[in-house]
Amino acid sequence: MTNMRYWLAGAFVLAALLFVPTSGSTYTTTLLFTMLISYALAQSWDWVGGEAGYINLAHFAFYGIGAYGFCLSLLNGVPIVLCFVIAVAVTTTVALIVSFPLFRLRGDYFAFATLAMLPLTELLAFNFDFTGGADGVVLPPNYVLFEAYYIAVGLVGITAVVTIWLIRTRFGYALKAIRNDEEAAEISGVRIFPAKARVLVLSAAFASVAGALQGWQLSYIDPTTVFGLDVALIPIAMALLGGSGLLWGAVVGVIILSLFNQLLIVSLPILQTAIFGLLLLLIGRYMPGGLLRSSIVRNSKWIGFLGREHDRFVAATANSPATSGLPLPKLTSEPGKPVLECRNVTMAFGGNVAVDNVSLTINAGEIVGLVGTNGSGKTTLFNCISKVFEQKSGEIVFLGQDLAGARRDDASRLGIGRTYQIPRPFSDLTVVENIAMPLMNRGEGSETPADALGVATRFAAYVGLTDHLSARADSLNLQQKKALELARALACRPRLLLVDEVASGLTPVEVRNFVDHIRELRDEYGITIIWVEHIFSALAQVVDRVIVLEQGSIIADGPLDDVVRDKRVLSTYLGSAAPVEA
Amino acid sequence: MSSGVHGLTAMDASIIIQIALGGILLGGLYALVAFGLSLIYGVARILNFAHGTLLAVGGVAASGIFAATAWNPLFIMLLLIPVLAVFGYVFYDQLLQPLTKRNHFEYTVGSVLVTVGALLILSDVAAWIAGPAPRNIPLRFDAMEFGNVIVSTTQAWILGGIVVFTVALHVFIKKSWFGRAMRAVTQDHTGATICGVKADRVHALTFAFGSGIVAIAAVLYAMLFPVDPYIGFALTVKAFTIIILGGIGNLVGALLAGIFLGLAEGFTSFFWATQWAPAISIVLLLVILVIFPQGFGRRKTT
Repeated sequence: MTNMRYWLAGAFVLAALLFVPTSGSTYTTTLLFTMLISYALAQSWDWVGGEAGYINLAHFAFYGIGAYGFCLSLLNGVPIVLCFVIAVAVTTTVALIVSFPLFRLRGDYFAFATLAMLPLTELLAFNFDFTGGADGVVLPPNYVLFEAYYIAVGLVGITAVVTIWLIRTRFGYALKAIRNDEEAAEISGVRIFPAKARVLVLSAAFASVAGALQGWQLSYIDPTTVFGLDVALIPIAMALLGGSGLLWGAVVGVIILSLFNQLLIVSLPILQTAIFGLLLLLIGRYMPGGLLRSSIVRNSKWIGFLGREHDRFVAATANSPATSGLPLPKLTSEPGKPVLECRNVTMAFGGNVAVDNVSLTINAGEIVGLVGTNGSGKTTLFNCISKVFEQKSGEIVFLGQDLAGARRDDASRLGIGRTYQIPRPFSDLTVVENIAMPLMNRGEGSETPADALGVATRFAAYVGLTDHLSARADSLNLQQKKALELARALACRPRLLLVDEVASGLTPVEVRNFVDHIRELRDEYGITIIWVEHIFSALAQVVDRVIVLEQGSIIADGPLDDVVRDKRVLSTYLGSAAPVEA
Repeated sequence: MSSGVHGLTAMDASIIIQIALGGILLGGLYALVAFGLSLIYGVARILNFAHGTLLAVGGVAASGIFAATAWNPLFIMLLLIPVLAVFGYVFYDQLLQPLTKRNHFEYTVGSVLVTVGALLILSDVAAWIAGPAPRNIPLRFDAMEFGNVIVSTTQAWILGGIVVFTVALHVFIKKSWFGRAMRAVTQDHTGATICGVKADRVHALTFAFGSGIVAIAAVLYAMLFPVDPYIGFALTVKAFTIIILGGIGNLVGALLAGIFLGLAEGFTSFFWATQWAPAISIVLLLVILVIFPQGFGRRKTT
């Protein structure tokens, strides 16, 4: 019901906007037109910035390319509809091409590379002949404000719909996972590069239509007005002022900054850029999270809803799991059949050989303890198996399939689930969303996001997080985060589970509970498990055998009782009271 | 300068040498800008977009002072160094340091907005006060001639100065307490803090230090090339290219990278077209980032 009300309200606002040109003044129409264009720009920027967490400072370059593409086509007598198509096609092609190099970069480097693209496009527009050089492109004078305005209203409507659509879709969740932790996203089955490239192309498409409309309406563009640094940052500032990643962020930012800009133009003949710069600086200094995230807005009775983070999924979390146990298929495996085979696996970082020629076989239904001193290569071996690292040499064969060249998400989808020694949950997502991520990213046969969130509650119940379903992952304590990691790994529906030091820091009772879980996972669901642990008493309760690593090599492999009597193990790992004979 | 030789048709060796000299000089100045930025980025992990603009504004101020008083540029430099250093300290301490308490995304976004905002304010206010027209420090020493190659003593002094300064800076960062503290914070922020380095203080001092170096570069730049309030951002882009090419915190690498960039621009202007010279640094930056996504020679910390 409430959803319906929001849609109606949105439709009403758009309808009201359609009446402005016929009933309002040209000034009002022009101002609103600018605001509509700004919203399309700011919001489409935020799909990349707020959702995927990439600060794309080259967004305005897409706007400029769209403007040039449109105006040059129109000048050459191309029909108007086709001009828009050309603008979008050219811009998205550019966006797709640049996404390959750009998304090799992270964080600051991405921000800087995109910022460097802006002067480059400006320079290209200046220096090429077909772009008209410094003179720009002048269209024949036509009064198209109304037409451009109506299209802009449509563009804004679509932009808003896409924004809402992004919240609940698999694609939107993939972006949220990427924003938080790309590696964790991959081991949860998210293919990250296509998602990043798609969102960049999507945002570029909207920016290009905005640029085309603006160029059409002004009937004049030149390199500085469409690529200049000070104008380029305005839409970004709008999104950030309102609150990046919030549904209402761009709307509020656009309204405030546009009106402020109008005021500035009218009342201040000089130093407009400086005042604008001051505004940017103050936003950055005092509310980089945005106006809507400030406590004044959040705690307000009337406008508090504006500051709400994207609607958390509530419906599914309300229903507590009806059935106990895990929604996992019971794997039937022939005991003794190898699940994982490592043959001569070597991994080195520079000259430091972390895993040295390791060969091992893990059979179906086994629980294997992997032990060794710190730095002996246990976690590196895990990283090789889960494809976080590609081993330097040797083969890793999982269920008869060579994993050479496989991506992390491939490994996850094939059935390798893992936890991290230091938990890496998706910090700003809730517990259910964290667990739902692998469920909705299993390739074919994935749950829809809504179903995945429902199913996730059962995994959460299994690890004892039922009381924290809607809590943000970063609000959990360390043990709860480790439980969350386990749940997320199980949600990958693994055939092989890699558990990395879960028991350290747990009380004896908690350890026993955990051991029971491990045993149950094997006995009930047929999951094969490799468990890295330092606490021998925990391992002793459940493991079938133990593999001991020392300086990257296996020094013992056998039942725990035999291994703990092995002299090399004793001297290198457990230490010994008596001097060891040579 | 390189563009001055366009009219000549004969491409004899002396022209090449002349262009090379101009390129080396320009590159040396780029490197000076990059030094400060490199130290700042290494220590505080902030992309200071206003860094080059500080040079533009400093250069405009220096040429203004020179036009009014005809003081020795060296004296003007000594005046500007503390002014910009204090500016750098306060800028970090008041505007950027408080952001360190926020989460990573807000820290990145906040520091981008603050430094870009500062960029816009600095250039606009400078243009309002001093006018947007390019200006310089029209001080000329005698020219020296080696065969056909003409070298002004200004150029020779500046070149010598840059080399000596780089070596001095290198030694300072290697040996002094402050240099060690900066390197420690660059390599491991938490580790340095645990060892008793006051990281916040080192951040602010690094901003002061880096901005002080800009004052030196600003005066030298204005003695050789025209400056206006808006050249800053292009310089920042060049400085980032140099850092990524030479390695963060690596001064000798930065000097070599700067000279390489200066030469590349000079020869592009001469052999191809002047208007494409600014594209060199941007294209170079993008290419390097694509080949070395982690930055080129990042692990080196001299």
